[in-house]
Order: sequence, then C-alpha cells, then structure tokens
Amino acid sequence: MTDTKFIMVVEDDPILKNLLGHTFAGKYQTLYASDGNEALTLFEQYKPSLVLLDLMLPTMGGYEVLQAIRARTDEHKDVPVVIVSNLGQATDVEKAKSLGANDYLVKAEVEIEEIVRKIEGMLSAPAPETPQAPAA
Amino acid sequence: MLFLGTTAVAAGLIYVLVLFLKDRLFELFPPELSTHADVALQLLIVQEGVLLVLFALILIVLVFWTVNRLIVRPLRLIIDAMTTFAETGQRVPLPDLSHTPKEVHTLANVFQKFTDSVDEVHRHDMEISRIKSDFISTAAHQLRTPLTGIRWALEALEKDPGLTAEQKALVTSAKDKSHDLVDTVGTLLDISSIESGKYKYTFESLDLGKFVSEMTRDFAQLANQSQVSLFYAGGEETLPRVKADKGRIKWILNNLIENAIRYTPAGGTVRVYATVAQNMLQIHVRDTGIGIPAEDRGNIFERFYRAPNAITKQNQGNGLGLYIARTIATDHGGDLDFKPNEDGPGTIFTLSLPIES
Repeated sequence: MTDTKFIMVVEDDPILKNLLGHTFAGKYQTLYASDGNEALTLFEQYKPSLVLLDLMLPTMGGYEVLQAIRARTDEHKDVPVVIVSNLGQATDVEKAKSLGANDYLVKAEVEIEEIVRKIEGMLSAPAPETPQAPAA
Repeated sequence: MLFLGTTAVAAGLIYVLVLFLKDRLFELFPPELSTHADVALQLLIVQEGVLLVLFALILIVLVFWTVNRLIVRPLRLIIDAMTTFAETGQRVPLPDLSHTPKEVHTLANVFQKFTDSVDEVHRHDMEISRIKSDFISTAAHQLRTPLTGIRWALEALEKDPGLTAEQKALVTSAKDKSHDLVDTVGTLLDISSIESGKYKYTFESLDLGKFVSEMTRDFAQLANQSQVSLFYAGGEETLPRVKADKGRIKWILNNLIENAIRYTPAGGTVRVYATVAQNMLQIHVRDTGIGIPAEDRGNIFERFYRAPNAITKQNQGNGLGLYIARTIATDHGGDLDFKPNEDGPGTIFTLSLPIES
C-alpha cells in the first residue's frame, strides 16, 4: 500500500505555491488549487486527506471553501483543514476556528518545516477531533 | 369652533347689555306691569346667565381640546421620538404636523434634521471603521506575501548542499534579516490594530504572581548567557487578581525583562517584584543597567525612539516595543512608566493594572 498521502494546497500566489511544492515533493501527493471554486471541484474529485487553505482567494474566499467542506454530509466533511494565511488578527483566527478549521498558521511567520510538522501531526493522528462547525 | 365662539361672545354681550340696560328696559314697561317686568327681566338675566355659563363651559372644553390636539399631543409625540432616539438610536416617524402652530412643527422639523445629521455621522464613522479594518487586512496580506516568498526561498536555499561556505553565510544573513522584517511587519500591524481600536483583547482573570514567576524562569537562559542574575522576588501572599489579556501582558513583560537583561552589563541584576498601590497591582522590573539619560526620558515611549546609549550592534530593537506596551497597558485601564534607580545605576519599569473588583 502506497504511503504517499493526498493533500490539497489552496494558494493563489504562484511563487508561494512553487516553494511549497518544492518542499512537499516526494513527501506527499499534492493537488493545487488557485481559487475557491477550483478547490471544491478538486476536493470532490480526489477527496484529499488534508487541506492547506489560504483565506484571500479570488472568486470564492477561504472561509466559504471551509464552510462548504464542513457542510458536506459524507465522511469527508471532517477532513483536517489547516488555514495558512497572511491575515492574522484575533478576529480572523476566531472566525476560522468557529467555522471548523483545525489550525491557523500565519505564512510569513512560519518556516515551511513547521507546516510540514503540522501536516505530519494531523495525518498521523487517529481521527483528529474536528471543532464542531455550526449548522449551515 | 368659530361659530360656537361667536355665539358665546354674542351671548356674553347680550348679557352685559341686559345688565346695563336693565334699568332702562325696566322704565319701558308701564308702572302697573313693573313687578312682572322686573320678574321677567330677572328671569331673562338668569336664563342668559345659565346659557352664558353653558357656552363658557363649552368654550373652555373646546379650548382645551384644541390646545391638546394642536400643541400637547404633538409635543408628546416629539418628546417620545426624541427619548427613543436618545436611548436606542431608533428613529420614530412623526405624523404630519403641518396643522400645528408654527413653533411646534418647526420643532419637529428641526428634530428630524438633527437625527439625520446624527445618522450621517454614525454612517461615516462605521465607514471609517470598515476602511481601517480593510487597510490592516490588506496591508497584512500585501506586506506578508512577498516576505513569505523571500523567507521560504532563503530557508530552502540555505539547506542546499551545493553551496560554498561563503554563499551559505550570505544566504543565512539574508534569511535572518528577512525574519527581522517579518517581526517588524507583525509589530506594525499590531500597532495599527491596537491604535485604531480594532485589536480584540481577550480579557480573563489572571493570577499575576504565578504568571510573572513563570516568565522569569523562561528568561533564565538568556540571563545566564548575559551573566546577569535574574530573579522574581515574590512573597508568600497571593497577589490580587487582575482582568487582563494574557497574551498581551506576557508580551509587555517579555519586552520589559528582555530589555532589562540586554541593557544590564555582565554581573548586574534584574529583579522582578510586585506591589499593590490603591486599586492597582504593580509589577516592577528593576535592572542595574545603563539607565535612561535624563534628556531621553521624555521620548522613551515615542514610536521608533531608541535612546542613543541603547543603540549598539547587539541591541537591534525597532523602538516600537515600549510604545505598544504603554498603549496596551492604558487599554487595560492601567499604565506603564519608569523611573531611574535611586540607589545606583539602572531603571525600574512599572506596569500597573487595575485589580479585579
């Protein structure tokens, strides 16, 4: 059984996307989405085991993507979602957590290694506890 | 109403006329009918009197009713609308008052215009508030995105095994500076949000004694490296609790203790202790360091200010720490201040926070 896990990275900046790809290569099978709509389409198609989600995205924002995922009715609705954004105010973090995000990282303030550590932590944990999102 | 008024006035005039001309009328009758005439006249006067009283009563009722309708009720409506607006900010629509006296409907119009202005100012304030939030979010995103790219690229490059020692040193320098820049941007965004009142504090009841002694332990390593002795002089008594944002207070104390250590030469002491003054709990950080010269003291809390004796290669601060720290302290209803040591070199910084009542 292959050990590579499928993860989805939702990030619209091409350079940051490349840098993440550079680090994830060989570790994970990575899907990339540049906007909210693409993210949901890919999610539906590939059902990744973890989602790295930016908040400032064109067309559909990160919060909406998160809400859409958590509003699902299948077992994938509880997929670990880590917000990786450059907004960082308490209000943004609270909003993300209340919508069901598992963690919130401020991109500029973390090394990519820390992101990898978080991913590892979430993928290896047995059925991580997802904060309950309010009914849509 | 006019008709009734006129009738009442006419009845009154007739009554007065009859009273005055009573004697004359009396003379008109032949003497033998004088007593009849007298009685008849008296009766007439009484009748007129009763009618007059009746008309007067009706007139009074009419006057009251009109005053009520034209003045009292509209005024009540206006007062109710004003009270509702003052207490809840809600606008109560007033009915058409053009039939009321000029003063009354002018009052209503002026009040209407006044509430319009208040609403306009409120809208304007909300708009400014929204723009501020948007600015901070946009600035955060616009500044941090390129910084993220820079630091991640440098971190990845640093790990490249193909670099020469010299190249690696260059990359490490750039990487370190990029980290500094990220810190400064983060601090600036915090200031922006604290200053604009957008920063959301999470207040909780804190036991500062325990909190401060833990933080002092966290700095043990730095103190050792700088050969400065650091200790928390906490007594046995528990300190009164304060209502504060744990993260922000930790940030302030981090700043104070780190500054104290950095500006104290080897062999010096940094002593942290608490006192209670009136309704404030005070945490003091006392160092035996280089001190703040008299001429710089007025500027210490200014943004970006760094006292000339503090700027060295080792101390690369951005001069924002004390400014933010003071703002946070005042946002908590407290203060941050300092004074030079009385018995030797150094400074005592004091953070005051209101005691939880």
